[in-house]
Amino acid sequence: MNRVVVTGLGIVSSLALDREGTWSAMLAGKDGLGPLTRLSLPLEPAQLAGQVAMDPGRHQTLCERMALRALDEALDGLAHQGDPARIGVFQGAGTSGLPVAEAFLEERLAGRRGRASEPAYQSPSTVTDALARRVGAQGPRGTIMNACSSSLLAIGQAWERLAAGELDLAVAGGAENLCRTTYAGFSCLKAVDARKCRPFSRDRAGLNLGEGAVQLVLETLDGALARGAVIYAEVLGYGASMDAHHPTAPHPEGEGAARAMAMALRTGGLDTSGIDLVSAHGTATPANDGAECLAIRRALGTAAEAVSVTSTKSQFGHTLGAAGAFGAAAAILALRDQVVSPTLRLEEADPACNLDCTPKEAKQRRLRAALVNAFAFGGNNLSLLLQRWEGR
Amino acid sequence: MSGTDLVITGLGLVLPCGDGIEAARASLASGAPCFADLPEALGLGRGAACTAFNPAGIIPPMQLRRLDRPSRFAWVAAHQAFADAGLDPKTMGERIAVTVGSLTGGSEASEAFMRPYLLRGPEGASPLVFPNCVANAASGHLALAYGLKGPSATIVDRENATFAALEQAARWLRLGLADVALVIGTDGLFPLLLDLCRGARLAARHGDPEIGSGRGLLPGEGAQAFLLEARDHAESRGIRPRAVLRGLASRSSSDDSGPGRSQALAHAVTALGEVAPERRVGGANGLSRLDRLEIHLAESHPTWPVALHPKQLWGEFGGSGGQLLAAALLESSGRTLVTAPASSGSQFAALLEEVRLDPR
Repeated sequence: MNRVVVTGLGIVSSLALDREGTWSAMLAGKDGLGPLTRLSLPLEPAQLAGQVAMDPGRHQTLCERMALRALDEALDGLAHQGDPARIGVFQGAGTSGLPVAEAFLEERLAGRRGRASEPAYQSPSTVTDALARRVGAQGPRGTIMNACSSSLLAIGQAWERLAAGELDLAVAGGAENLCRTTYAGFSCLKAVDARKCRPFSRDRAGLNLGEGAVQLVLETLDGALARGAVIYAEVLGYGASMDAHHPTAPHPEGEGAARAMAMALRTGGLDTSGIDLVSAHGTATPANDGAECLAIRRALGTAAEAVSVTSTKSQFGHTLGAAGAFGAAAAILALRDQVVSPTLRLEEADPACNLDCTPKEAKQRRLRAALVNAFAFGGNNLSLLLQRWEGR
Repeated sequence: MSGTDLVITGLGLVLPCGDGIEAARASLASGAPCFADLPEALGLGRGAACTAFNPAGIIPPMQLRRLDRPSRFAWVAAHQAFADAGLDPKTMGERIAVTVGSLTGGSEASEAFMRPYLLRGPEGASPLVFPNCVANAASGHLALAYGLKGPSATIVDRENATFAALEQAARWLRLGLADVALVIGTDGLFPLLLDLCRGARLAARHGDPEIGSGRGLLPGEGAQAFLLEARDHAESRGIRPRAVLRGLASRSSSDDSGPGRSQALAHAVTALGEVAPERRVGGANGLSRLDRLEIHLAESHPTWPVALHPKQLWGEFGGSGGQLLAAALLESSGRTLVTAPASSGSQFAALLEEVRLDPR
């Protein structure tokens, strides 16, 4: 198996349109949550979201624009000189082109003809295709729609192909834009908090929705060293599982999530004592956070007492299909800089979340390896294992 | 794809021609397309609907009401596939992976959710419908129905998404993350899809899809389920496989142009090595952009047998390539080459060996 490293990272978020701007704002305790203006939903009780300061293009969805911008930052001028058939592109998607379909349906309901783009246009793979064209890839492409764990599995797909020696370079990540379907959907499930969300808090009352894009460039360690690339972190493996418990709610004791984390440690060949950070799913819904903390304890045992836990949902809201990639980005930068980004607005922790959830302020500490969690509807659990790069 | 031999040991089918293997065989034998005017609830126009679909005795009525069409089809197809493979999924749930391919996953439910919301505001939004709006609703329902707790992936892509799902399943088996993988292709018809197909001039206005005619496609629906496992695992269970998955390859073009996609499909076939097929199954659907790829491939290999194109009978979307794999398993053959072109993205080719129509 080849060793696989992250050599590029691009972020477009509601905090900033670039990686370092986003990261420095996170460490400074800022969030990107504000009034919802992208969508007009006057009857919805919650009017808060993590909006990105970009708009769709004339012939581009917002997802595509954000993803391409994040990719350009991740590539940082890299023009791969190798075989294009050994470059793959893997993306996680949630809503993707859904706003296009919503607009068409609205037109039809109003008795108008509507602008009928072909079904392919609303397909989430349009983003994957656009990224592949930008990077000149002729290898495999994959578009994962595992709801909120999509982009983490996309990174896992890239890892397994690079590790197996099938590819030299891969682009992986996710992009998500706010749309009415998800806003109305989570709202009718009573899962949206009208205030800013409070992961792991005793008074948490639900999530905020967000949007953005994160793109990673991954390559084999040998390839990265040969071209003198900057190495952000090493990907050791991932784990995946299903709860088989409920269509939307997590297993209350985190049984499936714990199996995903344990599988990630197994595939990565790392002991529980090597983990210093969990970049949590941490949605701030009453059901998720307690179950996730239980799962962390199940997976890590006594080592859980020493880990730092953090949730990017407190900065960006829940970016759904891109959420796993946002969690991975936070973990990668934490491993690079040896500092954990804070969980904002964590005033009083829920006793069910009795781990070090990094309340309110960033925390400098030694960070060797991190687990990144993303869980989804359908009881779908993903956990990615990353390690600090300290040289060969 | 290399390493351990992977075999297909179970097959389940929900198709416009009926449920099950026998209905599908009869459909292929007759060669009669399944297209008709659709019931209004599914949309205005012609298509291939699963009008004979019968979940009775398989999906409990309480559950049935909560499922979208793709999940219903997938549930029944999976039931058939487990039975066909002689496998009780509840005995090994943590070791069974699920991968699902779909072109329309979640879209049927999204329309069902948004239509009343747009008309009536928040009071029209149904918390029972929304969970099906995610593309991976089917895999979640399958996990609950059959106690499946292994890894899961839903791949929503172009016309060959189920081949990507098959590839992911093969990878997990080889990595040892599962012992058995349930691979599903599933799609359901819905009014907005018909509207979009018609408005974007994808749908054939007159007659049935015909390769090379440029007439357009007709939409279909259905699900196909395949049980995939390592050959030695199947042998340890005393199960004779339906087929050996000898190879699976995908390639894409960097510009997604017609010639680029054609070349990518040819490269995917080349990546399988020496194929020399006894039988051919292809993915032409009546739309020029896909048909041209298949025509070009056939012209480049004049000694190959003439390809069967099942989307001419069962429609596009109805399993996102799963129909092609199903058709490949419905006739015994030493070596069957399946090509699955797409309007962009990855072009797939698969090589099946030792295909046995009736392995038991």
